[in-house]
Amino acid sequence: MKQEIIQRLTEIVGQDNVYTSLEDLYCYSYDASFVKSNKKDLAGIAVYPGNAEETAKILKLANEEKIPVIPRGAGTNVSGGTISVGDSIILVLKRMNKILELDRKNLIAVVEPGVVTGYLQSEVERLGLFYPPDPASLAVSTIGGNVAECAGGPRGVKYGVTRDYVLGLEVVLASGEVINTGGKTIKNVTGYDMTKLFTGSEGTLGVITKIILKLIPKPEAKNTMLAVFSELEQASEAVSEIIAKGVVPATLELLDNIYIRNIEEYAKVGLPTDAEAVLLIEVDGDRQILAKQIDKIEEICKQSGAIQIRIAQTPAEAEELWRARRSAFPAVSRVRPTIIGEDVTVPRSNIPAMVKQIRAIAAKYKVIIAVLGHAGDGNLHATILTDETDREEWSRVEKAIDELFIAAVKLDGTLSGEHGIGRVKSKFITLQTGEAGLEIQRRIKQVLDPNNILNPGVMFGK
Amino acid sequence: MIDEKVINEFSQIVGARGLLNENLDLFTYSYDASFLPLLPAAKPDLVLKPQSTQEVAAIMKLAHKYRIPVVARGLGTGRTGGSVPAEGGLVLCLDEMNQILELDDQNLMLTVEPGVKTQDIYQFCAERGLFYPPDPSSLKQSTIGGNIAENAGGPRAVKYGVTGDYVMGLEVVLADGSVLQTGGKMIKNVTGYDLTRLFVGSEGTLGIITRAILRLIPMPKIRRTAQALFDSLDGACAAVSRSIKSGAIPAAAELMDQISIEAVAKFRNIELDPRVKAGVIFEFDGDSEAGLDAQIGEAERLCAECGSVQFRIAKTKEEEDELWSLRRGMSSAIAALAANRIAEDISVPRAALPEIVKRLREIAARYGLQLAVFGHAGDGNLHPSLLADLNAPGEKEKVEQAVGEIFQAALAVGGTLSGEHGIGLTKKDYLADALGETGMAAIRSIKKALDPAGILNPGKIF
Ligand SMILES: Cc1cc2nc3c(=O)[nH]c(=O)nc-3n(C[C@H](O)[C@H](O)[C@H](O)COP(=O)(O)OP(=O)(O)OC[C@H]3O[C@@H](n4cnc5c(N)ncnc54)[C@H](O)[C@@H]3O)c2cc1C
Ligand SMILES: Cc1cc2nc3c(=O)[nH]c(=O)nc-3n(C[C@H](O)[C@H](O)[C@H](O)COP(=O)(O)OP(=O)(O)OC[C@H]3O[C@@H](n4cnc5c(N)ncnc54)[C@H](O)[C@@H]3O)c2cc1C
Repeated sequence: MKQEIIQRLTEIVGQDNVYTSLEDLYCYSYDASFVKSNKKDLAGIAVYPGNAEETAKILKLANEEKIPVIPRGAGTNVSGGTISVGDSIILVLKRMNKILELDRKNLIAVVEPGVVTGYLQSEVERLGLFYPPDPASLAVSTIGGNVAECAGGPRGVKYGVTRDYVLGLEVVLASGEVINTGGKTIKNVTGYDMTKLFTGSEGTLGVITKIILKLIPKPEAKNTMLAVFSELEQASEAVSEIIAKGVVPATLELLDNIYIRNIEEYAKVGLPTDAEAVLLIEVDGDRQILAKQIDKIEEICKQSGAIQIRIAQTPAEAEELWRARRSAFPAVSRVRPTIIGEDVTVPRSNIPAMVKQIRAIAAKYKVIIAVLGHAGDGNLHATILTDETDREEWSRVEKAIDELFIAAVKLDGTLSGEHGIGRVKSKFITLQTGEAGLEIQRRIKQVLDPNNILNPGVMFGK
Repeated sequence: MIDEKVINEFSQIVGARGLLNENLDLFTYSYDASFLPLLPAAKPDLVLKPQSTQEVAAIMKLAHKYRIPVVARGLGTGRTGGSVPAEGGLVLCLDEMNQILELDDQNLMLTVEPGVKTQDIYQFCAERGLFYPPDPSSLKQSTIGGNIAENAGGPRAVKYGVTGDYVMGLEVVLADGSVLQTGGKMIKNVTGYDLTRLFVGSEGTLGIITRAILRLIPMPKIRRTAQALFDSLDGACAAVSRSIKSGAIPAAAELMDQISIEAVAKFRNIELDPRVKAGVIFEFDGDSEAGLDAQIGEAERLCAECGSVQFRIAKTKEEEDELWSLRRGMSSAIAALAANRIAEDISVPRAALPEIVKRLREIAARYGLQLAVFGHAGDGNLHPSLLADLNAPGEKEKVEQAVGEIFQAALAVGGTLSGEHGIGLTKKDYLADALGETGMAAIRSIKKALDPAGILNPGKIF
């Protein structure tokens, strides 16, 4: 990066908040996805603005000089959305980490983008309130990153995803101008819904510098149960039936046989290793209706053919059941050195068909694909267990992933339920959107970021 | 004027049946449910009633070729002039595309054409134990296409959200006649920008909605209605806020001020307790008697703490209908008080309700106008109605100024111009106050990206 640009950026954010050494820049060549940027694609500089004004100045400068800008939260995304693309500016929002307001009267939180998801949740819960979206990465991910990816999580089935809680945004556009969308009102139809447009835009339309979030009252109590099935179809039927009966649990997590076997080996939680599916179910709400919900779900699971049902009687037992789910990743990561999690999503009723396809694809390419998912909303995590240093195997893995996407779209599904397109999946996007859809997206990108400085390569490819 | 030759081309698409160009017919498409005066420019040159997406696409191609303005119309119940031509052109009336295409009871999704009436959707679902919650008070006449284009709300929004929360996917014919599919039956989908939500609330300015996939939920088993009367409006507002925060979230919480209640009482010859200054109609729903009893008990207790002078739970279906007919009849009862009723649709943070009502009264007093306030208190969406005689000298100017001040007041307390009725023609002069110049530029650029020739509902919103 030209010294003069570094100088001007330093003047904006101060000496302590710019990083230019090789070892620093190397840190921004990867994120939680399986791709890394090449050595030649190391960024020119990483800057940590302290507020919206600084962010605006940085973007204005970048726009004038046509320098790519990569917004970055905690870098936990799994779609290559934050890796450097050569002589670019990595714009890290982590310093902007204040909860600006917790408005108990309106049940609203106003936060800066760098606030860590889990921290916000615990602050909110101290007030008896609840911010439901719970990506498994919440201990590190930022709210800004969650909004930019429209992150989901296990609770999505009952409580929806990040988008459902974003009421308003402050966004710095590529030009450096600042716009405010939405506000503190629950209902708002004043002009186009720009809040929803920026939500899930993966840093390609603007940099989010403030977020107004809706909160809800904290459920009084919760309980956990686990149901084991010998057939996947039975588990899937139970899921549809539970939702159709109106007893929507807070989470409905599905684990397949590969997960079950590995979890059992690793954590010894007492799962039958020949079972094809386990559902881990958490219900929440008023104490008096919880027991009823559990009864109903138990009945449905039995009717669908569950061979074992365990209902936690104490918080310690609930914790034990959750241990199965939480050991899932560590358990399978012993199998092979590289884990790739795809998050294809299909209509709920197509889960069995999708899982069959996944198995067929795994067999065809001789790769291991385990399946775990947020079954209530059809969001599957196809987990490929592989070794990226094995070139030959890797090429089979790549082909398998291609086929996964095609299979998902054929089953009326989508490439990504919550992880985003990023750089990793951009070449597949038209499978989903069609040419007309991509063209519209391109035009939206073009009008809001005419110089294509914001996260170039993300969503639209090179 | 549209050339005879061109009219012929249109008639080849829809046939003689689907084409109206008699003066009287055209006149009936020159107004909606807003209080706009009838203007010559509001009369369309042509009305077309397509019966399929193909027909809509062919119409748009032609209109695009000849640069003819196209105004989409459902059933014209819009409150802001959205379906009224601003510059002549053709009205594309979708009321004959009124088929429910598919119920997917596995995934709880309904696929419909845009001209289906909201009430028909509700009824179709209710007969099958399913629930489509959005309930604009106009539901007997309004179309789902119009609901989506306005992102319509209704009393149930406090618990169940608005139309947009149920739209999972759309088929849209774009300005140039190309057909776009957005979203789908998967609950979670982050592939590309959220175009579905961009079209929701776009008031016919970005594309013509020709099909929609709606999410359904199971029908709650029991509903109960209660009416609470208060000795102060602040008390009524506080009761609503507190019951939401307690987690006893009502399915509806409709607020009425003193004038509104008196209007209904007068209309129906009901004796009123002189202490009554405000009222709230609550609806609660759920699956168990015990759960509902607990919720209503909690609400009653909170209302008493907030100064209720009466809390009446409807015991029979008749009593329930009676309470709701009071609410539904409110508009007409208030309208009967004066020659004209100018109803607005502001939305404010819930906690600002007492403050905004105070300000609204000050404004009305300053202009010597009568004012009635009622609305969806649970989500802060109010319908202040000014009562006037627009034919009296000077009255029209007074009303216009008062309306302007009402909007300013809404913005000043952190609210917005419209919670559910949209901007259309009637509010466009105030839009920049709400969005700021940068915000306006941003939505204008989106409009330009999708409709570069500016033929879709020109003159609206901007
Ligand atoms: C172990 C693990 C578990 C995970 N579990 C889940 C899960 O359950 N559900 C789920 O949805 N995801 C999950 N993820 C993915 C990831 O955590 C989420 O996508 C998260 O939202 C990313 O947040 P972040 O702060 O790390 O953002 P980053 O990774 O830094 O950035 C993500 C994207 O957002 C953009 N961005 C970041 N901040 C801003 C901003 N302020 N303005 C504009 N653009 C911005 C970036 O440019 C990038 O495109 C998981 C990841 C890991 C590693
Ligand atoms: C008595 C009464 C009560 C009301 N109560 C409520 C209420 O509680 N909540 C609420 O939100 N609204 C309410 N409204 C307002 C109105 O009913 C809603 O805005 C409704 O959604 C309009 O539907 P419509 O079919 O009549 O649409 P129209 O009035 O015909 O059109 C409305 C807008 O949508 C566009 N449009 C229509 N169809 C399409 C399509 N297929 N594709 C693209 N654009 C299209 C039009 O161009 C126009 O901009 C009420 C109105 C009345 C008269």
